[in-house]
Amino acid sequence: MAIVIYIALQLVVMILLAPLVNGIIKKVKALTQKRRGAPVLQMYFDLYKLLNKSSVVSQVTSWIFIATPYIIVSSALTAALLVPVTTFASPIAFPFDIIMLVYVLALGRFFMGLAALDAGGTFGGMGSSREAMISSLIEPSLLVSIFTIGLASQSTSINDIMLAMQSVSLPLLRPAFTLTFFALFIILIAETSRIPVDDPSTHLELTMVHEAMVLEYSGRQLALMELGAAIKQLVLITLIINVFLPHDQFIAYAGIGGLMLSLLVYLIKVIGFSVLIAVFEASTVKFRFFSIPNLAALSFILAFLGFLQYFVLGR
Amino acid sequence: MTIIKLKSNLLDIFPDDIHRSTLINDNEFYIQVDSRSIVKICTYLNGELGYALLTIFANDERTLTGKYAIYYGFADRKKSQLIIIKTEIAPTAMSFQSISAKVHAASSYEREIKDLFGLIPLGHPDAKRLVLHGNWPNGIYPLRKDYDLHHKPHFSKKETKFKKITGEGVFEIPVGPVHAGIIEPGHFRFSLAGEPILNLEAQLYYVHKGIEKMAESMSIEKCFYLSERISGDETFTNSLAYCQAIEKIAGVEVPPRAEYMRVLFAELERLTSHLGDLAGICLDVAYGFAAFQFRMMRGWTYLIADDLCGMRFLRSVNKPGGLRMEFLESKEKSLIDQLMKIKKELEDTVVIIKQNTMFIDRVENTGILKSAIAFDLNAVGPGGRASGISHDVRKNFPYAAYDKLTFDTPNYVDGDVNSRMRVKLDECFISISLMLQVIETMPKGPIKESLPKLLSHQVAFGMTEAPRGENIHWIMTGENETIFRYKIRTPSFCNWPALCYAVSGNIVPDFPLINKSFNLSYAGNDL
Repeated sequence: MAIVIYIALQLVVMILLAPLVNGIIKKVKALTQKRRGAPVLQMYFDLYKLLNKSSVVSQVTSWIFIATPYIIVSSALTAALLVPVTTFASPIAFPFDIIMLVYVLALGRFFMGLAALDAGGTFGGMGSSREAMISSLIEPSLLVSIFTIGLASQSTSINDIMLAMQSVSLPLLRPAFTLTFFALFIILIAETSRIPVDDPSTHLELTMVHEAMVLEYSGRQLALMELGAAIKQLVLITLIINVFLPHDQFIAYAGIGGLMLSLLVYLIKVIGFSVLIAVFEASTVKFRFFSIPNLAALSFILAFLGFLQYFVLGR
Repeated sequence: MTIIKLKSNLLDIFPDDIHRSTLINDNEFYIQVDSRSIVKICTYLNGELGYALLTIFANDERTLTGKYAIYYGFADRKKSQLIIIKTEIAPTAMSFQSISAKVHAASSYEREIKDLFGLIPLGHPDAKRLVLHGNWPNGIYPLRKDYDLHHKPHFSKKETKFKKITGEGVFEIPVGPVHAGIIEPGHFRFSLAGEPILNLEAQLYYVHKGIEKMAESMSIEKCFYLSERISGDETFTNSLAYCQAIEKIAGVEVPPRAEYMRVLFAELERLTSHLGDLAGICLDVAYGFAAFQFRMMRGWTYLIADDLCGMRFLRSVNKPGGLRMEFLESKEKSLIDQLMKIKKELEDTVVIIKQNTMFIDRVENTGILKSAIAFDLNAVGPGGRASGISHDVRKNFPYAAYDKLTFDTPNYVDGDVNSRMRVKLDECFISISLMLQVIETMPKGPIKESLPKLLSHQVAFGMTEAPRGENIHWIMTGENETIFRYKIRTPSFCNWPALCYAVSGNIVPDFPLINKSFNLSYAGNDL
């Protein structure tokens, strides 16, 4: 029974928190541009509005187009169950689940690419070819990063990794982890379609990557696509902050009180990390499309150096 | 070359082809030539003498002479001379010799004439429709005098054909006319091999309003308001070109104070427009900070306009014969303060963006418009000045009080987005400096002159340097103070073909950036 409640709690936290991250990022970006910006809760209003609208579906589409929003959301939610929100324990844990996490998210991306092609629009195909290029460039460094932290904790289960990291004091000051952290940060930026890889707020269809793929969606389906993307973003953020900045070792007592305190700390970390992402986005400009491989290469080099550092210096 | 020398030269070389020549309005030299010899004379003027082709337009003069007339406007920019070649086409012929093969800039004008007058340019390399799309019925030509303005033709369902590029892996993407953002309509057909663009064909003209046709039934007073509404962000410069043409026909000298004030408003409009363009360039590469800096400053320029005349878009400020009101009195102090505030903010922002290497990397070497192409197509304004062509109507054909003020024309040679951005940045500072000079040196006195009754069938050019470049209006008056023909050639008309050249070889995601660096008008191109 407790595990069911725990799973439900984690899902609720992830769904409710995901749009907030976008809100914070947008707000901070607006403030760096001397604007007031939209309310932090704007994405909740948008989702509510979209969920109450019907969808327009092109006649040329197949079942893939209809099924994709559900696949996106369910893959994102599955991924959300694999990362522990409080660094006690993730609801679902088994060996190799970190690799499962990578490919559950890849499944969603795969269907998104198919759905974009399915609608037969001008920009969908462009978006999915670009997304395929970016994700294939990013994947090697993602796996190397994961193996580095896996090696350091002698496990490929996220739960064990996080428990192991709790015993490392200040992991971000250790070269192996510092380098991996930056590699993962670049991956996060690329995976969540942020500047400098993509521009989430652009209206220019020709420059879009992620936005081009959801261009044909409307109403309820669009809401699901947006929510799925937001949850995926939160999953990646959670993975990074809970691996590199574990906090549960500092919370002395267990039980409901400890859980709540842990959640609170987690919330603060998410907000802090969102601000970091926003500041990073605000201080950079979008890359020329063919410069993205350089960024992916940088990420791979960082991950690989971190990997080597582990053998040189240990954890 | 002086007019007298040019005249004797032309008479020497083409003794049998020149019928008549007259010099009017100080610098408009009209030469009437035989329609058969138009190609060689135009080739001589453009090729041998290097006179730029400013415009070609037709006029339905069947009620006057029983014939159509085509005017070829050339400019000797060094001598501030306009040389206008006029040729008459008999209604039985309905065709004229195309000069596009020799003078490349002529291509769009000849296609425009073909669409709107039904005069066929013989020997045109690509004489497909330009202004009217495939759905416009054949045989209906809106700018002929016998076409009723309110007539609504029956549209057919024919589509426009685009140039096909074939080859392995080459595909097309159609973009627009409805876009994801709130921008003007235009259809872009890209032929691509992967991301690099092989060819871009732009189909514009979705917003044809029949302005030139509408003007023909209007009184001179009323047509002024029409000229203000040609393009929303070039209100003042268009109305100024109109006023100048009318003032030339009337032979009226505008009071000096009005001349200075016109500079002030024209430069305010240029500053507003350039700041908007710079914001657009920054926004297209997701450089939010700089984009919103420029937008904020543009907001300030709107406030200045609102402060001065109660109208942010500067409508009803101008008036043939001067300005409508004394707008500036007792506002000099606050105006100087506001301009200095913009200047300070602009200086700070420029320092920041020029140090941002990631940003400079995006704009450098993107969308290069080669100097030779820019010259052939008569690219104007910042688009031309970034490619080594230093035309500026304010210098070449000084109007208002520009000859009494000191300013430079920025000139860059690389022709990329960076150069166009720098031209616009430089011009922002120049505009501010001009406005400050105006406030300092402006004489006191009246600000308007009343117009005498205008004679019929008089012609004159009005030329201004719009924010986007050389802006040319030509007016022929009709009976009872009306307009017989009003030809407007906005800078966008020259620069759209140049944009298509600048784009090729770049990748698709860079197109919006290149497009924004030119920032051409759709509505101001499609009258």
